[in-house]
Order: sequence, then C-alpha cells, then structure tokens
Amino acid sequence: MTLYEKIKTIYPQLTDNDFFTVITLQNDSDGRGDYIAKWEHPTLAKPTEEQLA
Amino acid sequence: MASIDASTSGAGGIITTADNTGTLNLQSGGTTIATINSTGLSMASGKVLAPTGPAFSAYAGSAQNTTSNVYTKVQFPNEEFDTNSNFDSSTNYRFTPTVAGYYQLNVSVSVNGSPARFAIQLYKNGSAYKIMTDISCGTGTVPNAISGSAVVYFNGSTDYVEVYANQVSATGFYSNSTTVFTWFNGSLIRGA
Repeated sequence: MTLYEKIKTIYPQLTDNDFFTVITLQNDSDGRGDYIAKWEHPTLAKPTEEQLA
Repeated sequence: MASIDASTSGAGGIITTADNTGTLNLQSGGTTIATINSTGLSMASGKVLAPTGPAFSAYAGSAQNTTSNVYTKVQFPNEEFDTNSNFDSSTNYRFTPTVAGYYQLNVSVSVNGSPARFAIQLYKNGSAYKIMTDISCGTGTVPNAISGSAVVYFNGSTDYVEVYANQVSATGFYSNSTTVFTWFNGSLIRGA
C-alpha cells in the first residue's frame, strides 16, 4: 500500500485536491520513497508514524 | 571623446585619436563592430554581443514511474549542453549555477497515461518555489505535456533548483530516448 493509500484509508474524506494544496506528499527520487513534506489541513491532524506503519 | 582603434599590424597596437564625435567605436580589422555613445552600447549590423554565462539543457531520456498524488522529483540524467558544468545529471538532477544573477528557466514534462490532474512545480533550495502548471483534466481534455517558465535569482554558490511534478491516475512521466519529451533548460539573462 502506498503512502497516499494509507492516508486515504485513515482519512477517506480527503480529496485529490487536498494533495495539491494543503497536503504535499513528496518523493525526491533518491530511493527513500514517499513522505509527507507538508501537512496544513485545517481540520485533520497529520497521521502519526504508528498510524502509517 | 576619443576614438580607439586596436590594430594587429603596424607599430602601434592601440591608436587613440580624438575626433570629438562623442562616440567610442570598437573595431576589428578596420571595421566597427560596436559603438558606445550617450544612448549606450550598440552592435553593428550582423554582429552580436554574446553572453557567456552558464546555460544548460537536460532531458529525461526514458519514462519515470510515479505514484498518484505525490510530488516527485523529475529525473534528467541526459544533457544536451551544460556550458559551466552546473547541472547535476547524475545524482540530484538540479541546477546550481556558480555565477550569481537572474536566470530564465524553462521546463516541460510529458505524461505517461491519462491523468486526472497534472502539475509542475519549481523547487528552490529544497522547497516549493513556483507552480508552473496545475491542470485538472476532464474527459477528452487530457494533456500530453505541460510546461512552464520562470526567472529566478541565484546567489552563485548555494542556490539550486529542481523540478517536481505530480499526476493523478496516470503512470508517471513520459520520455523516449530523444530530447523531445520531458526536458529542463535555462541560462543566465542578467548578472547580479
């Protein structure tokens, strides 16, 4: 499951637009994979490492 | 003002003659190639003032798979030219000019598949800096490529830029082995 899919499982109400505006998932093409670079959602808290594990 | 002629023959290398025209002519072989007067510097017809600041052009050369909704650094492992060796095409895919000034940057990213949304951002020093394109794609309006440009200041030492793109519902960025698809280039347009 990708990071995006994990987050969508935790917060199914998130839209694709959220990932272009208040949330930025990022991949630096360095082999380290996807990570949360920005989380500025007005009501939903950034998922914890435990939630994403 | 004096007229200065640089001669490659004869005893005098430089001959200075006051003619009171208010114009300074730069000549080669007895022909004026540039003129400086009260309005500034102008080149003679057919002559160009050729800047020698850094310029680069890089391209992907192959497809890059990405995950939907993830801003992913676009890889440019191939170079058309890199006049000052300021583009890293092997590890970080970033432009770090060693001459301070203002640079015109241009980028185009092609998509592999049919995206529902497709965007390019320019990152400066590791952070989002400028959205270049962000397009929502309805049925029948799927783009093949999106592009953008910006003028960016660089300090000539630590400043660098990278290209990130994000797609939804496609498979990633497209390129074949040519320079045509998914490219990034730029050059110095003004000194600091």
